[in-house]
Amino acid sequence: MTTKQLIQNPFAFIGVLLIHTCRDARAFLTLVVQTLFQLVTHLPRKKETIQQLYFVANGSLWTIIFCVCFAAVVTMLESSFHMKLVIQNDSMVPGFASLLILRELGAIVTALLLTSRIGAGMAAEIGSMKVTEQIDALKMLGINPIRFLIVPRLIASTIGCVLLSIIANLVCIFAAMIVADQFLGYSNGMFLTAMRRFVDFQDIIFASIKAFCFGFVIPLVSCYFGFNCRTGADGVGRATTQSVVFASVAIIVLDFVLSYTFSYFY
Amino acid sequence: MIKYKNLVKSFGTRTVLKGIDLHIKAGEIVFILGTSGTGKSVLLKNTVGLLRPDSGEIWIDGENVSGYSEEQFLSIRKKCGMVFQHPALFDSLTIYENIAYGLRKHFSMAENEIERRVEQALSLVNLDNILSKRPGEISYGMQKRVSLARTVVLQPKVLLFDEPTTGLDPVTTNSINTLIQSLSRKLNTTSMVVSHDMQCALKIADHIVVLDQGQVVDQGTPKQLLESEVPLVRDFLEEARNQ
Ligand SMILES: Nc1ncnc2c1ncn2[C@@H]1O[C@H](COP(=O)(O)OP(=O)(O)OP(=O)(O)O)[C@@H](O)[C@H]1O
Ligand SMILES: [Mg+2]
Repeated sequence: MTTKQLIQNPFAFIGVLLIHTCRDARAFLTLVVQTLFQLVTHLPRKKETIQQLYFVANGSLWTIIFCVCFAAVVTMLESSFHMKLVIQNDSMVPGFASLLILRELGAIVTALLLTSRIGAGMAAEIGSMKVTEQIDALKMLGINPIRFLIVPRLIASTIGCVLLSIIANLVCIFAAMIVADQFLGYSNGMFLTAMRRFVDFQDIIFASIKAFCFGFVIPLVSCYFGFNCRTGADGVGRATTQSVVFASVAIIVLDFVLSYTFSYFY
Repeated sequence: MIKYKNLVKSFGTRTVLKGIDLHIKAGEIVFILGTSGTGKSVLLKNTVGLLRPDSGEIWIDGENVSGYSEEQFLSIRKKCGMVFQHPALFDSLTIYENIAYGLRKHFSMAENEIERRVEQALSLVNLDNILSKRPGEISYGMQKRVSLARTVVLQPKVLLFDEPTTGLDPVTTNSINTLIQSLSRKLNTTSMVVSHDMQCALKIADHIVVLDQGQVVDQGTPKQLLESEVPLVRDFLEEARNQ
């Protein structure tokens, strides 16, 4: 159907949209299944995996630390301001803030920053490999591109995201503690006592599970868009943008699903 | 050796190959000429399963490969080497590793034998002293020649070249054409060469096929093509004469 026909007929428009969505979803799921199959049936390429892990961790670490520090400051100051305004008392702030940091902020800020950095990088790299026929060349040499390209990135990103989110959580809590001490008048001891009352060990486990899932999703989405990159000058750019948008949305939705699931365990 | 029967390939609503019928005999050098965007690259990629046809059949060495799975194509891809239109070298590997990769993958060879073969393949394309460089550090023309060496080093029975000499200087172009010719004469390799260059097609091809808008508009020996009445073929001949 032509674009004009589609605009005139909303039912056709919705139909075509649905068909395209189903087709893309199926292609994505196929890629996920193939990747998992390669992951469990073959040993990963060690050197490439370590290189990718270095790429994930090294460049992102300082950006993430920088951002979570600011997130901690804002969380503390804002919640204190509003608590004081409403109930004239901000004694709950240290406890609430540490809970929020561990359950949400640490993992999600890490994941979103990783998406914009390594997710975009992977989509662009694989997309340009596709456009310049390198992926075809791999196939001609009998090399499985999923095993060769996606599996190392998947492992590196998953490990990297878990490690980075643990660091992000620690730094974020530490920054919150300093803010509490300097601006709100709660000593470090008081902060830690409050934190211990609110936070359980399982919160840390759940935070790591979240980071694991986010780290798993980013390379899959990026590599999917890279592999399906259109030829032509704008192909790689489009694939990169789309991969960042989709991975970010996927992370937010996944965060909701995981938080909802974990709420049964609290 | 290779037979296409009514091959059709579309992308979305656009039909690129509209029923190709061709027969390529073993040991022949076949040139495929055509204007940009007529589907020459698509034809080659269908042959080795990098793209799949919508309908029609492809026979290679007596096997109908049209319905083959990715695994079944592995043996076909060992038999048929392809030199892509882009150099398509792996950026993360050195030139040496790029060429040696296939040898390591397909043959169990001693390292010094691999080294010897790699150097031999590079000298075939007039290159030396670049073994430890990365693809990004050499010129585009050199990358194209390395990519040729990477395919030729495996000594496949069938060689598919997608514009092997586009963007190269006349001297190198000549030596690559000689290389294609000598591979075919010495090793009895079957070659399909996609090209825009009628002049060299007339010189070294055994058979020339002219494609236009996804269809074969004319084919025959160089001699037969010189007599052709098809306008596009006449244009190509005219162009070759003016060079
Ligand atoms: N993977 C693909 N997806 C969608 N369209 C494609 C794809 N590959 C090729 N095409 C389209 O098929 C047509 C033929 O492409 P092809 O690359 O075979 O041309 P060509 O004859 O090799 O031209 P050139 O001499 O410029 O290389 C083009 O219009 C191209 O846009
Ligand atoms: Mg082409």
